[in-house]
Amino acid sequence: MQSNEELLCCILDMGEVLLTAGAEVSRVEDTAVRIARAYGFVRTDIVTITECIMITVRAADGQILTQVRRITHRQNDMWRIEAVNALSREVCAAPLPLAELERRLRVIIETPSNPPAAALLAYLLAAGSFTVFFGGSLRDCIASMLCSAILYAIDRSGIRIRLQPFVRTVASSAALSLSAVLLVRLGLGEAADKVIIGNIMILIPGLALVTSLRDLISGDVISGLLGASEAVLRAAAIAAGCALVLMYTGGAV
Amino acid sequence: MILQIFAALTGSLGFGIMFHVKGPKLAVIAAGGAACWIFYLCAMQWQDSQIIAFFLSALITAVLAELLARRLKAPVPTLLMPMLIPLVPGSDLYYTAIAFVGNDMAQFVSFGERLVKESGAMSFGVLVAAGIAQIVIQAQRRFRIYRTEGNCRKPRD
Repeated sequence: MQSNEELLCCILDMGEVLLTAGAEVSRVEDTAVRIARAYGFVRTDIVTITECIMITVRAADGQILTQVRRITHRQNDMWRIEAVNALSREVCAAPLPLAELERRLRVIIETPSNPPAAALLAYLLAAGSFTVFFGGSLRDCIASMLCSAILYAIDRSGIRIRLQPFVRTVASSAALSLSAVLLVRLGLGEAADKVIIGNIMILIPGLALVTSLRDLISGDVISGLLGASEAVLRAAAIAAGCALVLMYTGGAV
Repeated sequence: MILQIFAALTGSLGFGIMFHVKGPKLAVIAAGGAACWIFYLCAMQWQDSQIIAFFLSALITAVLAELLARRLKAPVPTLLMPMLIPLVPGSDLYYTAIAFVGNDMAQFVSFGERLVKESGAMSFGVLVAAGIAQIVIQAQRRFRIYRTEGNCRKPRD
């Protein structure tokens, strides 16, 4: 029964893509259960906790299979969630052959996340907008955009060298504070606080918080609480990064 | 005020792009982000507690996001988080940290309190909206099961 094992592995792959892209636990479990049912497994038990997926299925002939998947890194990507969702909807309507399912899934996994230009544009847009939103001037807005480009570079290289998320957050936040202060000293920005706040908005783990809240309400208390406390710790890391720089440059810039 | 609403619009759009949302959903997100801030401003006109305004705005925006997500067949967080971003208290986080570094305990407590209250109000709005959505969906599902028994039902959006 080689194929059953491969099929289960494929189901876990889908779960992994969903979970790493920032989906709620209930969505991961729901998708896996539906797909397992569509492929004729008579019983599926799945437990998903923020960092791992455990699944046991029973095939129609009584064979029982268990697999565990550990999730190590996350990268929010709504397109992936949607793509896996669409695929699972299709599979539920009419199960695809295993090879076809694997191929379709590989396409989703291998499609790169945001191209650098789009990601940079997103950073510029978000940082610039929120600097203005919190009362910055046009010059602050421009300074903030420059800052966010630096933030983007730091963030990306942090991901590339696989820095721990907390360390990365502290480093990013310190770098953005430092560049904001420097830009204001150079005379480009007027209010360093507005520039920094605009960039902080990018770092704030809003999606993690919203997702974990939705986990809580759908009954996945462990994941919900873990996610929420991670979001709080991330916020503390941001504050720590800012504090680290502003301690030396003086609080009121 | 108009400028702020416009900034909320472009800011939400930025977050939409950042989370790799594609196509017409980006327009929905941008409009939703602006709407979120408009709801907040309206709530502030209607009564004067900032916390309640945060809660009401988060609640209405979240309900809107849940509805729109199902209509557009998109996962809920796709729309929800970028639309709520104008309510995220980033400035309070910053001023709390600054007050802490500057050893200004009075400021630290006052900004810290606002930070906790505002993010709490926002979270509570999201929770209530998710609860409402769950009640509606379960009720709908019951009806649907009575009408069409069997076969694999459509996965949720």
